[in-house]
Amino acid sequence: MSATLFPTHHSQECHATDGTPVSNLSQQESVVIDDSVRLPVLALFGNAIHWLVIAAAISLLLSIKLIYPGFLGGISFLSYGRLAPIARDLFLYGWASQAALAGGVWLTARLAGRPFVSSINSVGGVLHKTLLMGAVVLWNLAVLLGTLAILAGYSTGVPWLEYPGWASAALLLAFLLIGISAVLLFDRRINEQPEVSQWYLVAGFCSFPWIYGTANLLLVWKPVQASAQGPIQAWFSGSFLALWLLPVAIAALYALIPRICEAHLYRRSLAPLGFWALLFLGGWSGVQRLIGGPVPAWMTAAGVVSGILFLIPVIIISINLLGIVFLQNPDKVRGVTLRFLLLGLFAFLVAGVLGAFISLPAISAALHFTQVAEAQTQLWILGAISLPLFGLLYEALPQLLKRDCWCSTLSERHYWLTVTGFWLLIGALVMGGLITGLALSDATVSMVNISSYGYPFNVLEGVAQAFLLIAALTLGFNTTRALAWDYLFPKR
Amino acid sequence: MHRLPTLLSGIFLVFLTSWAGLVAYPALQLGRLTSVPDADSGGSLPPLYNGAAIAGQRVYASEGCIECHSQQVRQTSVTHADIDRGWGLRPSVARDYLRDSVAYLGMSRLGPDLANVGQRLTNSTDYYTHLYAPESVSEGSVMPSYGDLFKVIKIEGQRSGDALDLPEGFAPKAGVEVVPTTDARNLVAYLLSLRHDYALPEADSVKNAPATSSK
Repeated sequence: MSATLFPTHHSQECHATDGTPVSNLSQQESVVIDDSVRLPVLALFGNAIHWLVIAAAISLLLSIKLIYPGFLGGISFLSYGRLAPIARDLFLYGWASQAALAGGVWLTARLAGRPFVSSINSVGGVLHKTLLMGAVVLWNLAVLLGTLAILAGYSTGVPWLEYPGWASAALLLAFLLIGISAVLLFDRRINEQPEVSQWYLVAGFCSFPWIYGTANLLLVWKPVQASAQGPIQAWFSGSFLALWLLPVAIAALYALIPRICEAHLYRRSLAPLGFWALLFLGGWSGVQRLIGGPVPAWMTAAGVVSGILFLIPVIIISINLLGIVFLQNPDKVRGVTLRFLLLGLFAFLVAGVLGAFISLPAISAALHFTQVAEAQTQLWILGAISLPLFGLLYEALPQLLKRDCWCSTLSERHYWLTVTGFWLLIGALVMGGLITGLALSDATVSMVNISSYGYPFNVLEGVAQAFLLIAALTLGFNTTRALAWDYLFPKR
Repeated sequence: MHRLPTLLSGIFLVFLTSWAGLVAYPALQLGRLTSVPDADSGGSLPPLYNGAAIAGQRVYASEGCIECHSQQVRQTSVTHADIDRGWGLRPSVARDYLRDSVAYLGMSRLGPDLANVGQRLTNSTDYYTHLYAPESVSEGSVMPSYGDLFKVIKIEGQRSGDALDLPEGFAPKAGVEVVPTTDARNLVAYLLSLRHDYALPEADSVKNAPATSSK
């Protein structure tokens, strides 16, 4: 993987779009851009990875607790009911959102061909940089204090929004401090014809404040009557993945895969349809899990339809990107970056197919309270979202640090541990969920018997979580090594 | 999609569709449901929670009960399993959640549904025993013990009236007793009040016979 990959192949896709010649970013220009975002991006990535390690460790602890319910029992703040939301929120806010911010900011600046912070040495530039760093600190403080609040028993009890209101307000403020500049940069870009990934970045950065703000307002800060909360909860969890995290991950796929393969998007004319379909359906496809529940039937019907139609953007994005790899340059799949990106794309494809399958009313009714639903969530969070973000990290760090900073043995190890752990986890959850789902539908099978059917799969899940923890630790070590090396022997 | 305002307006309009359907509509419609008068008691339905039950909802939130327990009986048009399991006499409707601060609809059923647990278990000591030593009530249960909701204290003079009667193997050693804390009392008060055994205008098909009769 060459360190100058990004600037030298910058014009690739733009030629593909309409033939408009776009100035290549010279080495010098990309250095100016990287200089403008280096500190916040490195801080965001670094913190994201340490939350990932903690979240993976808690997930392992949780699966041990499912096997031995008495493990570390009697300690209130280590109970399953407190650690489960903590792990989920750390994956969502500590790791994925933060890595998406880091990667999103870097990608936005590089694709726009402009420094994120203009005139770095002016008063305005210094102020902007300080604001960005302040936002990074605020974000991590909010995640830390929110986590401690749940540990201490101050969870709001709202799924995915367990952080107390003050912590979520801080997260929103921190996001706005970073996100607004990222959106505005779209208008200052140097390429006339925007790239596909630039649309996705704008959509992602716009949706977080909308989704997170609305959901907190109506469920945490000033809760609406509980009879109305069910659909809003479902809308939030569906949209948070499909409209905020996923678009940034897809932007990474659209930006990096064509450049690494040195090829144009395959059937690019389909890309706008994929984009709008994803944004439209993403907001609706989450509510089908309330099927048969205390919500109007048309809502779950809309959820079922959009869960199935979601295959359209999934297929279009796969055609655009897999077409490059498998139809044009099948021999290029070697670097860890590209393999992570493709693995993420594959997870996205599987998530789309499984999502359509479990949207079918009869199947949803049987499975959506089981681990199949958890498998679906993890296909998104750990798969379609995290894997492209890993790829983006492997691409961005050497450029930001201006050296080949990765230990390739560790990178390889991280890749294979992730592949093994991830698919083992999904397999265990799907199989365990199918069996318990069938048993749950049969009223003559007792709940205790059902948990005993799930037992072997819980053990498999524990093994998978152990793999994922070692993978996260490997990535953490590799990144720490790179950053420490840079700190001790600066090359700038 | 070349200019930011165009792109932003497109994104805004697309986001607006699901927001209108799944956020604004529920907030304006379901959020304005009101209670209905109860002819039998002269009160209103769903009934109000007592003070302890309201405090108990907070314990339900902080202990993360929602991670393993749902609170919804689904429509029979979708599945009969919920009613066949005896988890309720009728499907849950939006109005049932009127008195709750958070709708604990749930996402997983590692344990049984609790929408009507107050109807199945009516004695608070059953709850205490289950919370303190789940396996003493249901062997093989994956539910962890919520021992931190109880105090293990030395018996001075007479045994406390609310001390738990635990079976052999789960009881503490002689001379000490297990008593519930305020949190445990509040949580149990809340669980006891989870019972939708009344009819509402939109859900009047309360079955009087035990739910197991259908299979």
